[in-house]
Amino acid sequence: MQFDIQYRPAHSLCKVALAPNESVVAESGAMVGMSTNVQMQTQSGGLMSGLKRMFGGESFFRNTFTAANGPGEVLLAHSLCGDMVVLDMTAPGYFIQSSSFIASTPNVNIETKVGGFKSFFAGEGVFVLKATCQGPGQVLVGAFGGIQELVCDGSLVIDTGHLVAWDSTLTYNVGKSGSGWIASFLSGEGLVCHFQGQGRIWIQTRNPAGYGQAIGELLPPRSG
Amino acid sequence: MQYDILEKPDFSLVRVEFHQPGEQLLVESAAMVAKHSALEMRTQMQGGLLGAAKRKLLGGESVFQNTFTATAPGQQLWFAPGPEGDLEVVEMDGRTPIFLSSGAFLASAPTVQLDTKWGGAKGFFSGTGMFLLVAQGTGPLFFCAYGGIHAVDVGPAGYICDTSHIVGFTGGLQYTVNKVGGMKSLFFSGEGLVCNFQGQGRLWISTRNPSGLVSFVHPFRRVQSG
Repeated sequence: MQFDIQYRPAHSLCKVALAPNESVVAESGAMVGMSTNVQMQTQSGGLMSGLKRMFGGESFFRNTFTAANGPGEVLLAHSLCGDMVVLDMTAPGYFIQSSSFIASTPNVNIETKVGGFKSFFAGEGVFVLKATCQGPGQVLVGAFGGIQELVCDGSLVIDTGHLVAWDSTLTYNVGKSGSGWIASFLSGEGLVCHFQGQGRIWIQTRNPAGYGQAIGELLPPRSG
Repeated sequence: MQYDILEKPDFSLVRVEFHQPGEQLLVESAAMVAKHSALEMRTQMQGGLLGAAKRKLLGGESVFQNTFTATAPGQQLWFAPGPEGDLEVVEMDGRTPIFLSSGAFLASAPTVQLDTKWGGAKGFFSGTGMFLLVAQGTGPLFFCAYGGIHAVDVGPAGYICDTSHIVGFTGGLQYTVNKVGGMKSLFFSGEGLVCNFQGQGRLWISTRNPSGLVSFVHPFRRVQSG
């Protein structure tokens, strides 16, 4: 399987080339186009995992695309403007902010994890995804805005609204950004994620909630 | 006339340089960004009142379009679509018509005829609108999309495209609107209906869809009190 990301960074589109009988698992609604020999199957993976995923900010269902009778291709995109990146699976795996997940090779196990009760206030939901894999595999993640790879060497603080994914070798906890709650609130930074350890963190250069607030305020009020 | 597309793909802009006096370009209303002051602009309803009304109501284009006419060699014109995103130009060969979905038309040479075509009731379900704009003739045709524009050369195997991502396609293609996967997928896959293209030709797909942005922003609107 080959992921080829085009039209970067703002309107990125990922062309997934599938070998015969190969499959890719994609987030619901991510498919833009595909060859006619690709078959789609919708799975919830059981009621509990489906529900958990829904609370994680993703959709209840995921789709598996399989190339039948020869090679095929699937075009995948995020709904918001921004870049994408392919993460090669490592033994420890990754944590992924739930709305950043777009697709993975079928051997990647995606679990919905409780991200700590504090992250409830962080605008990104209570859950994060944990991607793990036996052997080689890939995950496609998408961002709102551009993507930067930061290296955490010891400790690093990231705004929760800018998180895309991070190496699961890192420990993290969500907390206040300043010395006190009032200072944190007034700084406009609200809640941040404190990372500890050694690993990589992928951030998005724009915060979707920040964008939504900036635009939403300017629009006429809705009726309900 | 010579043209190039600048700032592709995110904030594309067309720059045209006219070589001969009398050369013309028909541009969608409000798309002009800049022009030489002596370049003549005339606003008209193409095809008269009825033709314009039909295009507005059925094809999603504006009632008025502007015709720019060069009065001297070397005059320049710049124009751009409203939403951010890509634009594409095709030199029409006089044989193959191009079908554009509602709102995709940006500009064309006066030798390109524009009309609306009943896309069949399937258009209603496909998100492309009930009607398609048909361009026929010779000369450049400019069209645009929200997001990037991805061209797919459709061969005998056909191609499947999400209904809300179609920008346009050449005349050699026919499509049917289908569901993808089983009944469960129809309701739960988030993919809804797709267009299944068959035949030989080129299909243009947009990499984003404005309704994705709109449905994201909507919950951030204030709620009307009382």
